Amino acid sequence: MNKDKAAPTPRRPLDFLGIALAVVIIGTYFLLPFVIQPERGPSTVAVLTESKKANELGIFKTGIEIVPLAALGMLLLGAWNALVPGAARAISLLLALAGLVALVYYINFFRDYAAEQADFISQMGIAFWIMLGASAVAVLQVLIPRAVPTPRYRPAKLFGNQESVILFGLLLLVIVVGLANPRYLQERNISDNLAGNAYIAVAALGMTMVIVTGNIDISVGSLVGLLAVASGRLVVAGLPAPLAWLTPLVVGAGFGALIGFLVAYMRIPSIVVTLGMLSIIKGILIIWVQGERVTDMPADYFLSQMRPLGIPMPIIIMVLLTIGVALWMRYSATGRAFYALGGNAEAARLSGLSRRRLVMTVFILNGVFVGVASVMYSTQFNIIQATPPPALELSVITASVVGGVSILGGTGTAIGSTMATLLLNFIRSAMIFINISPFWLKAVQGLLILVTVLADLLRRRRQRL
Amino acid sequence: MQSAPRNPTVVEKLRRYLISQEGVLFLIMLVAVLFLATRTDKFLTVDNLLQQGRFMTEVGLIAIPMTYIIITGGIDLSVGSIMGLTAIVLGWSWQELGFPLELAIVTGVLSGTLAGFVNGLFIVRVGVPPLIMTLATLALFRGLAEGISQARSARGYPEWFFELGQGEVLGIPTQLWLVIVSVIIFAIVLARTQLGRALYAIGNNETGARFSGLRVNRYLLLIYSFSGFMSGLAGYIFVSRVSTTRSDMGTGIELDVIAAVVLGGTSIFGGTGSVVGTMIGVVLIQLLKNGLALSGVTSDATIVVIGSVLIFAILVNNFVQLRRDGS
Repeated sequence: MNKDKAAPTPRRPLDFLGIALAVVIIGTYFLLPFVIQPERGPSTVAVLTESKKANELGIFKTGIEIVPLAALGMLLLGAWNALVPGAARAISLLLALAGLVALVYYINFFRDYAAEQADFISQMGIAFWIMLGASAVAVLQVLIPRAVPTPRYRPAKLFGNQESVILFGLLLLVIVVGLANPRYLQERNISDNLAGNAYIAVAALGMTMVIVTGNIDISVGSLVGLLAVASGRLVVAGLPAPLAWLTPLVVGAGFGALIGFLVAYMRIPSIVVTLGMLSIIKGILIIWVQGERVTDMPADYFLSQMRPLGIPMPIIIMVLLTIGVALWMRYSATGRAFYALGGNAEAARLSGLSRRRLVMTVFILNGVFVGVASVMYSTQFNIIQATPPPALELSVITASVVGGVSILGGTGTAIGSTMATLLLNFIRSAMIFINISPFWLKAVQGLLILVTVLADLLRRRRQRL
Repeated sequence: MQSAPRNPTVVEKLRRYLISQEGVLFLIMLVAVLFLATRTDKFLTVDNLLQQGRFMTEVGLIAIPMTYIIITGGIDLSVGSIMGLTAIVLGWSWQELGFPLELAIVTGVLSGTLAGFVNGLFIVRVGVPPLIMTLATLALFRGLAEGISQARSARGYPEWFFELGQGEVLGIPTQLWLVIVSVIIFAIVLARTQLGRALYAIGNNETGARFSGLRVNRYLLLIYSFSGFMSGLAGYIFVSRVSTTRSDMGTGIELDVIAAVVLGGTSIFGGTGSVVGTMIGVVLIQLLKNGLALSGVTSDATIVVIGSVLIFAILVNNFVQLRRDGS
């Protein structure tokens, strides 16, 4: 084991190239005229849109040529680092890919610009943030060298976990579709995609925890529908908006507790309990609502339409919850116990973990997450539909599973599940942008789920060898 | 179960049957039927019951292979999508490709079988867990159906085509005969043949079964293909019953089927279960739906009852089995 504790690789001058490059890129950006425009406010990058004809600012002439060069630099440096043993390879490759994205993006931009079609900064906005993020990554990369140099270099190691498989898939998708139709990369499309499906990601977080413990919940779709309508009706009846947001969380926790009780204390398999609950909740919803949509909610109710700091609220909630759950699952005692229970229930019992309490906890938590998801869903539009989104539970389970949660329990992460939700929805919108008939949409989606799962299996098999 | 040292008497045998999974379930069904019969006199009539038999055919047929699969510890979520795919392939090859209808039927059912075979192949050869594999093909097969049909429906079938779905033989709906025969054959296959015993062995301990020289892969491939075949058959019967072909046929049927199988006492973890139990589950659900509807409960409220019955029945069964094993 001594070999593993070898000293970190000494820093080489080359490693500091990343920092230098990052400084150059960031510096360049802050010197560029379209960033510094006090009269247009701090978020100029996202706001400013101009065509070539109206290019009064002369942006094109003031140094934007540096940007593709910097992108090329990122690409080359990332690729170089990825091949050098001792550097953090996955991060290097990400850097290279980010460089490639930015490069492709700018090639498209220039092409459109020449054709006088470019919406200036809305085309450039995202690449700006990509470059900025990648620069930060480049800095990180230098600061965090690999502690253990691997004796042999194997490309398969890059795909060390499901998260990176999905991330590469996502980047590949964005590049390919972005090449075919640059409008796909517009900030509007991307933020719509993220915000519109964030509630699925939140529900998938709860599902991930449930599946990690070796259980499953197929009643989430009905529950989201029920809680969304309940929340909407309460606020229409005059309840203050914050209370209407909180109620679904509490009621969701209540339903979770009921499911948890039946699974933990009555020893009914979770798939059976939630299959029953699926019918019960759906029935209650139909009888109670009678097909009436909820409308006329007060203006302060629409949580999902708020944009603090210019970022849509659902994205903030999704990111915060994902980070929270990821950390909690990784570092808290209960989070670790979930893995233990799912990995080997008998061993968990012998180590003094209470299966009953853990199962109760996980289902109550799941109920709360479903509650959050339902509020995000119900405040999205000005109307709340009387029926839950069709096959929502399948989207949620698929996201968890594609995100690397083994259905047998014991493995899986929050970040993977959120990224899988994003991937699945980017795929859906990509198909619209490259003109695939909507009737083939589901087929392609199914195929891609299969490919993702196969990639995961292949990776695990290789790791075992 | 402990083996009795002496030959059990008739009373003991009867008692053992009564407290078996199927026995308990049968009693629950009896109570439900009697209760419903007192609520409305339209329920317990021959006409009504036969009509209900017609409606439960699709679920009943698919529930047989589903029982097999769940006994081995697997699951098949794609059955509803296979139904849709079969229906679409049938209608499409007849109308668009100009196949004779007989050939179109065979093509449809074969494509269903092929779909099941693909499930089995990936599960066995690549090692994809069944839940994940069939979750993916749930989307994939439905997507294929939608893509092929482009949301067009096929109708205008000749008269003889409806015989299976709407006709009668000896006063009993045609498709019900099919269910009865299938149940008898496949109940015997499961309970009395080597294949049946192998399925239980796989469900109890797959590795053990493998080391005992059972050809596990072959059996699994067989039952998933069988599931595809039965779903295809159900798709054909469904088209014949409702006289039209649409790509959304069979949506959500997988949950009905699994509910019936589980209600019938098959453990979702594999290793136990029977076709007879499953059929009681199918019949119980159908009778509850129908009986409640006839006694004036709205059809939406019935799903609440069915969900509750599902949980309640498992609860009672758990309790009874616990008592039995304990004593």
